[in-house]
Amino acid sequence: MITRTNPLPQTKAVLSTESLSVGYGGVPVLPPLTFSVRPGELWVLAGRNGSGKSTLLRTILGLLPAVGGTLTRPPSTSIAYLPQVQSLDPIVPMRVWDIVAEGVESGWSFLKPWITADQKQRISEALTRTGTESLAKRSFVELSEGQKQRVLLARALASSPELLLLDEPTSAMDLKAEEEAINHIADLRRELGTAVILVSHHLPAAIKAADHILFVDAEHQGVAAGGVREVLADPIFHRQFAGLTGDLCVDMLKDGHRHDA
Amino acid sequence: MTPSLTDFIAGWELFRDPILCGLVAGAALGMLGVFIVLRRMVFISAALSQAAGLGVALSFYAQIHLGLVGFMVDPRLGALILTLLAASMLRLEPRGRLTREGMLGLAYLVASAGTLMVGTRISQEAHDIQAILFGTGVLVRPSDTTWVLISAALVFAMVVWWRRGLIFASFDPDGAKVRGLPTTLLSFAILGAIALMVSIATRALGALPVFAFSILPAMAAIALAPSPTGALLLAACFGALGGVGGYMLAFFGQFPVGASQTLVCALLAVGAWAIRMGLNPRSSSRLSLPRA
Repeated sequence: MITRTNPLPQTKAVLSTESLSVGYGGVPVLPPLTFSVRPGELWVLAGRNGSGKSTLLRTILGLLPAVGGTLTRPPSTSIAYLPQVQSLDPIVPMRVWDIVAEGVESGWSFLKPWITADQKQRISEALTRTGTESLAKRSFVELSEGQKQRVLLARALASSPELLLLDEPTSAMDLKAEEEAINHIADLRRELGTAVILVSHHLPAAIKAADHILFVDAEHQGVAAGGVREVLADPIFHRQFAGLTGDLCVDMLKDGHRHDA
Repeated sequence: MTPSLTDFIAGWELFRDPILCGLVAGAALGMLGVFIVLRRMVFISAALSQAAGLGVALSFYAQIHLGLVGFMVDPRLGALILTLLAASMLRLEPRGRLTREGMLGLAYLVASAGTLMVGTRISQEAHDIQAILFGTGVLVRPSDTTWVLISAALVFAMVVWWRRGLIFASFDPDGAKVRGLPTTLLSFAILGAIALMVSIATRALGALPVFAFSILPAMAAIALAPSPTGALLLAACFGALGGVGGYMLAFFGQFPVGASQTLVCALLAVGAWAIRMGLNPRSSSRLSLPRA
């Protein structure tokens, strides 16, 4: 097991954990994790089904209480979450615009009777940035899976997030679409300086774009957090994903990963 | 002999309150029904209206057998307290093998059995109990009309003001929580509004039409509306139409009022779904299915 913090002390972390223990009913499902996420970094949260990815993600999002340790975010950090499309209710009659408009909501902002001009501008920019402006009046449920993901990304961007968490955003896409989507996310985080945590078990494309990996394995009680190269060298990670990452792991370990400082 | 329009106009003084009650309760419950349908809690209003019935029965019991008088044993207050108690119980997250459907069934059955059992001890008020269980919108007391108007005004104000938060929390509860919306409060607010409206409307109109108003207009609206705000408005219109149209059907067809209002609401729901399926045969995705 390796558990390391990434070395970039000059920028303030948007998320820090210290021996963070996640689980249910006070029972941890993973060993403690220590890591820090800084602006502009792209982390891939990897693990097999049932490995504890969702538990860790829900704890980071504040939807589950931590079992132990600390999880720190600066109080003013704007956080956005891109859920899996299947988790959204298909019977709610939502247009694309209605969904992206949710991105500007925060705290008690819904008490204002109308959306302000500034908020409308942010919604419009998010639609443009994700190429979904032509879909604005369409019904969400009638879109393709790829279009739905872009709309949800627009909703996340409308909140001008400093930390963006994406839960398997490419699960319904083919390989080409997946690579395009991940590259798009990587471009956005570079352009906007947003820190991104991307949950994925389609690893090759995600790892190519990422700086860091959070690897979790509840079955073997393994966790690893750090730069791509050091996590790729972790024996449990190697054993778990040798088939999925294939030559990518070997190439990266041989040549050194471009993001590893 | 079938009553004529002249008969209706001649008796307007008599019909005004029940029609107004049907219109306003239909609109308010129709709008709240959008949240009930979206949260897959369609039997909540059935359970709550039975709880309201038990509250009324217990109030009469306290008056008759315990000799209590005054505001504390007002049947409306009894209905509201029991409805709020049931709503707060149903607000609890199901745990383990206890499902929400099971909790709804338990609340419905306990309240129904309780109402019938207490009803046997207050035979003087048996007519009131029957009216609550099966509906009687023929004659509505002016005080009940006033309470329905006040409750509906509160519900309309809350839903219109908080609609963005309520819709976000219904469509994507986790997303809303991550963005810092007070999802627990929003959930309590909507359940509180349902409890208030159901308890007051059940006392005035009966359990059957109240159950119908809180489900069928929302189903119709969700089938046709392009947006969530559109669904709220359409559901309010359909509910109002069901309340008034049902009363007219009952008057001219000599049918029971509650059943007629239910039938009109059901026709609106079936008609709306027929239109939706006709416009887009593959778009049945808004028929509510259990959440994955």
